[in-house]
Amino acid sequence: MTQAANRYRDYLRARYRCILGYTGLITAIVGLLMLTPLALLFFYPQERAVAPAFLVPGLALLAGGLILWRLLVPRTGATLSYQEGAVIVVLAWLVALLAGTVPFIWLLKYSFVRAFFESTSGWTTTGLSTVDVLATSHVMLFYRSAIQWAGGAGLAIIALSALAGPTGPGISAAEGRGEQLVPHVRRSATIVLGLYTAYNVIGTVLLRLVGMSWFDSVNHAFAALSTGGFSTRPESIGYWDSATVEAAIILLMLLGTLNFLTAYTLLHGKWRAVIRNGEIHVMAFLIPLCAGALFFLVTLNLYPTLGKSARVAIFETVTALSTTGFNTIDYRAWPSFGWIVLIVLMLIGGGTGSTAGAIKQYRVYVLYKALVWEVKRMFLPPGTVTEPDAWVGETRQFLNDARIRQVALFVFIYLVAFFVGSAVIAAHGFTVQESLFEFASSIGTIGISVGVTSADLPQAVLWSQIIGMIMGRLEFFTVIVGVGKLISDARQMV
Amino acid sequence: MAAMQYTVIAGCGRLGSLLAGDLSKQGHSIVVIDRDETRFTNLSIEFSGFTIAGDVVELEILQRAKVDRADCFLATTNDDNVNLMVAQVAKAVFQVPVVIARLFNPAREAVYRELGVATISPTKLSADAFLHSIQTSNQSQV
Repeated sequence: MTQAANRYRDYLRARYRCILGYTGLITAIVGLLMLTPLALLFFYPQERAVAPAFLVPGLALLAGGLILWRLLVPRTGATLSYQEGAVIVVLAWLVALLAGTVPFIWLLKYSFVRAFFESTSGWTTTGLSTVDVLATSHVMLFYRSAIQWAGGAGLAIIALSALAGPTGPGISAAEGRGEQLVPHVRRSATIVLGLYTAYNVIGTVLLRLVGMSWFDSVNHAFAALSTGGFSTRPESIGYWDSATVEAAIILLMLLGTLNFLTAYTLLHGKWRAVIRNGEIHVMAFLIPLCAGALFFLVTLNLYPTLGKSARVAIFETVTALSTTGFNTIDYRAWPSFGWIVLIVLMLIGGGTGSTAGAIKQYRVYVLYKALVWEVKRMFLPPGTVTEPDAWVGETRQFLNDARIRQVALFVFIYLVAFFVGSAVIAAHGFTVQESLFEFASSIGTIGISVGVTSADLPQAVLWSQIIGMIMGRLEFFTVIVGVGKLISDARQMV
Repeated sequence: MAAMQYTVIAGCGRLGSLLAGDLSKQGHSIVVIDRDETRFTNLSIEFSGFTIAGDVVELEILQRAKVDRADCFLATTNDDNVNLMVAQVAKAVFQVPVVIARLFNPAREAVYRELGVATISPTKLSADAFLHSIQTSNQSQV
């Protein structure tokens, strides 16, 4: 009996060496990323003073991570299961979120909670912020965009693209990026990262062409394509008040929210599969419907010109659905109907396998299909064979009960968390509307605000938003599996 | 690691799933086809390729697996006739450079060779191993 327990303990120790080793690899990547803002010192040499706030944590993570990785991972590499991937994802995100706080505490003298909030908002591509962007250095602003860029791509995808990454699909599945473009997980990760980088280059040039400065272009391209939404201007995209800038940003936000698999199918010229795709249907239905409703019932009477009203209606619809969180106006002037449209859009959110968050269009589409299927079956003879389907990439997938159960449970846990979080905000004296809006924005990693999020927010509200953002980004089950496994294994090993 | 190859494997039994896992771990792109969806549970956690549930003798299924672009096609179903047929289709219709089929009945090997399909016969391999063991034990007794 004890011998068996000992053997199991040895086995677990060996597995945790790999787990910590790969966590080390991701830590090193995070460290490298924290050094990238320093490249801006070439353009803004007067900001030299901020360098240590990035150099120290960046180099420390890089060195520590590399040592862990070289010491612990066997030379031949290792394969990870989904559960082990979940542990790595949880640990790596903790490291990234904690490391991300350092520049905020160091340079902006924020309290730990506030810095953690900013860091989480960045990594999870939410975009809620209490930073006064006018009083902040360029390097710091770029740092915020860089962590959104990386959080959008996903730590697992970046780690897998590294030549020395783990084998097996466990880790990418754990970070909610299980869908592959090609039949090998590493090649798939490399293609995703390539597509994403290409988007960013094109996006930056596009924004420069429509009139932004280079610095604003880079930051806004990163923030739009990662569906993050940090801006370098306090008025966000409203600063430019230009139809062409808004059109360009809308295009980038839609690209960010488009499933990479769909984009890849599209690149291969398979229009038919894309037209059949459920997520495309959801977007093609929701965007005109909601933009139309907002235009006629909300913005038409609020803004001086017809053109401005139409622009606002379309822009706010896309920013909420794509979970980006740029804005061009202040929502506080809006009537309740406008708020509820945005809350519904924020709950639905973007495409699966994209940089977006929230419940996601695919799940909504699956539940809609299942509902139609259920109703149809009531009219058919009992033995009839039916086959509800959904198109993913270029293949037709059939919906079975297991799939529908998974999706329904996810939506259930999401809505439970949504209402609990909103209740926490409401308990601190905010109205129901404000609470629902702000928490939908946190948990869906969107980032539009009706003014609840501010520097003097009670700690409990900040923490609930932080937990909401992390849970929303990692899709609940990964956190549950990762933390659960850590706890039960720790008990075995000690 | 050798250059990345695209391999299609017909049949996801013990052999097919083992090959799929190992090749996937080595960094190759793998698509596995099996008639029975539950057999994909045989695949190890190393496997990161695609699975297709369908009958390999149907041309549409092979097209969906993009056999025309495959570098290698392995027929590992538990039926010699199916293996022969799909291997031939892979070779003649889709022009796959390397086609290997599993063959239980060694008596049919000659027919396969005529058709230009390489085969591996577990029956013959184990027979050879048996003979080898007998010989070595005889020698050590002498």
